[in-house]
Amino acid sequence: MQRLRTSGSTWLLLAPGVLLLVFAFLAPLYVIYQFSVGERMFAQTPALASLTGEATSFTTQMWSGFLGHDVQLKVLGGSFTLPLVAVGIALLGLLLLTVYGSKLVPRGGGVLAIVSALLLITPFLALPWGDSFPRLAELSSEGTDLRLFFKSVTMSMTASLIAVLIAFPVAYWLAFVAKRSKYVWLLIVITPFLTSYLLRVYAWRLILSSDGPVNSLLLSLGLISEPVPWLIDSQFAVVVVLAYAWVPFICLPIFIALENMDRRLLEAATDLGASRLMAFRRVTLPLAAPGLIAAFLFVFIPTIGEVITPGLVGGTNGYMFGSRIQGDFISSGSFDWQQGSVISLFLLAVVLVLTAATSRFLRNAGGEVS
Amino acid sequence: MDEQSRIEYSKMSRRGLVSLAGAGTLAALFGNANAFGSGALDLSALAANGKFNPDKETGPIRVFEWEGYDAKEMWAKYTASKYAKSSPLKFTFLQDDQQALAKVAAGARYDIIHPCVAYTTDWAAAGLIQPWDTSMLPDFKGIPAAIRKGGNIGGKQYHVAFDIGFSTIVYDADAVDPADAKSWALYTKPKYKGKMSCFSDGVAITKIGALINAGGPINPNKLNAAQIEASKKTMMKVKKNLRSFWTSQTQTVNDFVNGNLIATYAWPDGYWRIKNHPKMKGRNIKYMWPAEGRLAWVCGFVLAADSKVPGRSHLAVAAANTPKTAAWLVDAFQYSPAQGAPSVRQLIKTKALIKAFSIDDPTAFAPPRAWFETPLKNRRAYVAAAEEVKAS
Repeated sequence: MQRLRTSGSTWLLLAPGVLLLVFAFLAPLYVIYQFSVGERMFAQTPALASLTGEATSFTTQMWSGFLGHDVQLKVLGGSFTLPLVAVGIALLGLLLLTVYGSKLVPRGGGVLAIVSALLLITPFLALPWGDSFPRLAELSSEGTDLRLFFKSVTMSMTASLIAVLIAFPVAYWLAFVAKRSKYVWLLIVITPFLTSYLLRVYAWRLILSSDGPVNSLLLSLGLISEPVPWLIDSQFAVVVVLAYAWVPFICLPIFIALENMDRRLLEAATDLGASRLMAFRRVTLPLAAPGLIAAFLFVFIPTIGEVITPGLVGGTNGYMFGSRIQGDFISSGSFDWQQGSVISLFLLAVVLVLTAATSRFLRNAGGEVS
Repeated sequence: MDEQSRIEYSKMSRRGLVSLAGAGTLAALFGNANAFGSGALDLSALAANGKFNPDKETGPIRVFEWEGYDAKEMWAKYTASKYAKSSPLKFTFLQDDQQALAKVAAGARYDIIHPCVAYTTDWAAAGLIQPWDTSMLPDFKGIPAAIRKGGNIGGKQYHVAFDIGFSTIVYDADAVDPADAKSWALYTKPKYKGKMSCFSDGVAITKIGALINAGGPINPNKLNAAQIEASKKTMMKVKKNLRSFWTSQTQTVNDFVNGNLIATYAWPDGYWRIKNHPKMKGRNIKYMWPAEGRLAWVCGFVLAADSKVPGRSHLAVAAANTPKTAAWLVDAFQYSPAQGAPSVRQLIKTKALIKAFSIDDPTAFAPPRAWFETPLKNRRAYVAAAEEVKAS
């Protein structure tokens, strides 16, 4: 590639991206910030704001209303009340140890990273089964929005893990087994993306409904005596549909990580007497890890603010954080753009921190050995 | 009705919800389409009398309407006038009140918009609308004063009512115990858990909770903080019995006719669709009249503050809001007209609708039997409580 010598041409190439960043992200972000601190209102004048009940000058009241709540950590039947700041610092610390543990501690760093990761995800892990998901640990809060945030993280994390668990064997098969036809199969795997997302979600509504094929099959096999009520209009349905929707998408980064792996390492492992299982555990899995984590983040980041799927298949229990934002801005009728801006900015901050902290994995998703 | 007519009719659904059940009615309606616009309304004479001067205006009239309300029958008098050529009606469809207000507040520009009255203060607060000159709307006086009042802010008429209707529970009387079908408290019965649905609107949720708590008629438009708090607690319990908070009536109608529901909150057309659906043949579908009273809504026209054709917009609304179009509204959409003149009932083709929706009963649309929505000063408190219910 010819090297760019003049700063003028460099700026010319950058200009569209910079303009997009300024007009489509930074400018709206600034407006949202103004709403979040009462410097901007839905009403046109302070006098008219009395009709909508908005703040008319700078205030942090909306922020304190959202963040001014303690957090309850429920573990194995016990409940501990902790300040939100402490919980935030602990979660951030665990996240950084998960990402950089192996670099910070030369010996045993890997174990530290794994333990940190387990501690980090345990409060957000749930078994997606039944009316309410069984939990080992749980974060909750008296604050409605915070509680909803923790619930959304749980649903999104569960969906992300399921998606990765489904996508990994598919990508593994494509990379190592499918041989010449792998790109044809890859195309087939991503075919669902060619159809409308709404259509796919509605299809699940039919599949999981009371008279749908799943319930009909279970009834005909005599496994149930009446349709399972929580298959649709439930958290279960939201998690299943989110996982399904993202599996084709995340097959790609995992496939690329596996495809770019140096196969000679596997041969060397075999030559040195490693079984196939050991070679998979000691060579394939560590090298695929960045791709797996990137895939997990590719699902987690967009789904945490999901609106459409909870609205279509979530029922009364599938309500998520994104639904709340949509409600404040549009659908609930309160037109509380100020509160909607606060929780939108909070979600953005969480996603930015997560992305920045895990950028190492996102960079290495191509299968490089770091 | 031939296939083409059926397709055309299905396109006209307001809120995407119109039943095909009134097919015979519509055949008659289309057959008489020419009858519209044949009244005594003289738009040229109106143009000379108001504070606006339509003769000096030009450019299209942008109408932000419910799907189906672009029907030629509704605007025939205007489209036949001399103004229509230089100011044709250009329709864009709105999905719901909240989305419409958010869209216009975000910069979308229209001349006539068709929101419900509960949001009039928000439209006015945002500086998006201006008052109507009611002297240019001859049939405005045909709207009962109680309905007109909701759209009046500080003595100025910002909202001109066009369509009204009930909101209550449709239920399958074969599946619901008659003793339970007399009150909004049906929602509290665990024996119907997972078989009931409610509208997702925050204000409606809080009103229903308050009516359940009251156990009898109270004005759900005037709830205080304690009543809202109590309503929230009740609806949190109710939520456990509900299958969903529906956002699209089509969705809940489909759930009902597919056997997933035996009771759901619905507007009149939703009830009519369910009742007349082929899958519901032989079922005893009823539209509840709760002891606490039905909820009721009022929708109508507002005029954009920055309209470049305010005079011609008046003429279009004057043409659309007549007893004839009011009767057409009932036949086509199963809604009730804001026009209260007895002549409306004479013009309605499907007389069964008059009884089904109590159009001939003046007490039906008045407290304590029904509670019309009004702009709420503390709507944020209503919605915040409902959001907590949803998030619980």
